[in-house]
Amino acid sequence: MGSVLAASSPSPPPPPSAAGSASPGVTMPPGFGMPPVPPAAPPTGSGAGKEQRAENLLPNPGAFDECHRKCKEVFPMQMEGVRLVVNKGLSNHFQVNHSLLLSTTGDSSYRFGATFVGSKQTGPAEFFPVMVGDMDNSGSLNSQIIHQISSRIRSKVAFQTQQQKFVNWQGDAEFRGEDFTAMVTFGNPDVLAGSGIIITHYLQSITPSLALGGELVYHRRPGEEGSVLSLVGRYTASDFIATLTLGSAGAHASYYHKANEQLQVGVEFEASSRMQDTSASFGYQLDVPKANLQFKGSVDSNWVVGATLEKKLLPLPLSLVLCAFLNHQKNKFQCGFGITIG
Amino acid sequence: MAEVEELSPASGPVATRPPEDEIDDDEDEDLDETLVERLWGLTEMFPDPVRTAAEVSVQGSVSLFKKFYSFSRSALWVGTTSFMILVLPVVFETERLQLEQQQLQQQRQILLGPNTGMSGGMPGMMPPAPAKM
Repeated sequence: MGSVLAASSPSPPPPPSAAGSASPGVTMPPGFGMPPVPPAAPPTGSGAGKEQRAENLLPNPGAFDECHRKCKEVFPMQMEGVRLVVNKGLSNHFQVNHSLLLSTTGDSSYRFGATFVGSKQTGPAEFFPVMVGDMDNSGSLNSQIIHQISSRIRSKVAFQTQQQKFVNWQGDAEFRGEDFTAMVTFGNPDVLAGSGIIITHYLQSITPSLALGGELVYHRRPGEEGSVLSLVGRYTASDFIATLTLGSAGAHASYYHKANEQLQVGVEFEASSRMQDTSASFGYQLDVPKANLQFKGSVDSNWVVGATLEKKLLPLPLSLVLCAFLNHQKNKFQCGFGITIG
Repeated sequence: MAEVEELSPASGPVATRPPEDEIDDDEDEDLDETLVERLWGLTEMFPDPVRTAAEVSVQGSVSLFKKFYSFSRSALWVGTTSFMILVLPVVFETERLQLEQQQLQQQRQILLGPNTGMSGGMPGMMPPAPAKM
């Protein structure tokens, strides 16, 4: 059970940038993401467990997508309507989940998802291959297959459909070296039409605390092609992680600070050249394990205030999530609650 | 009065009636002005710069007060709702936790005698409390 639960990490992978990816009705369900590499969030700069050796001066910097992840996890996730999620583990390798969403603004839906975890073990909590699939009541499918091909190469294939039409199909391969990580992603490759997106990431540890890297996105459609380059720098200390992304599409800076055992704080600043706007947001996460409580709050420069409260109702394996978001500028309020069983 | 008007013998005693009538008419015209208008007329004694300065400052302070009032209204609303969303649930939960802990402590005191509920209570006095908090 533990291995299956460890495999389904709650954070969804970010969609490929500059891609015309999923249409609004389809959302990546929460079960998606690469299985967490054990010291995956590197507060002290130490890299992936399997590559860490005591004599290495420069640790592996981790995945490229994880750079802003620590800060983003502090912010509450907006949800509306009533959600009921039932997770059931059928065996050590297989887990099934049903989720019902009763929505006030859109359509209510039912999703069925299954997670399969294989038996090749590469770390204390990592098992490969991992197959995650999810189907909607209207027939939209999301699926991912993650596999560790060799000791340093991990690859992932993902599909997403909107009813019966394929909206997103991508494959990627990630190579973890001694002190660098490189990843190549092919998004929506269509050989017949000559279109597709190729994304390459590279992240290199310069010192035990500093990692620099870059991302190159090349997209091509019949008649047009273009590329976007952005650079990333991340500084990790014992208390905080500061990350900066600069590119032709804009700038993104994030700062994550762990104040004490209970309080974590994140500040994020984003400037987009495409939409010509900037935004700053401040978020905090408060953990009170004695009260089985996790509270996340955020304040935004767009006058949006939001909070999420998650409480485990302990004798039963129930977890309650309450969420409220208020936009002062437009005077709009959204609230929702959810119950997770199992 | 230079002119002497011929009055009919039935017009009453010869008195200076037209001037009185005129004076009465003048007073009647004066009384048509309201009190406010008469007081306002008094301000005309001040020189013009003083009058304009006073007018500008009064209008400015009135509009400032209105802006401050509407600002404080919206600030109060924004502050109260944001406090309610960001801080109130945590306050409730921590209070509840404290009350629960106090209750448990009280129960343990009643059950096992005094001095048991205190952390770092005197060793050897009582058998150690069986359940860890």
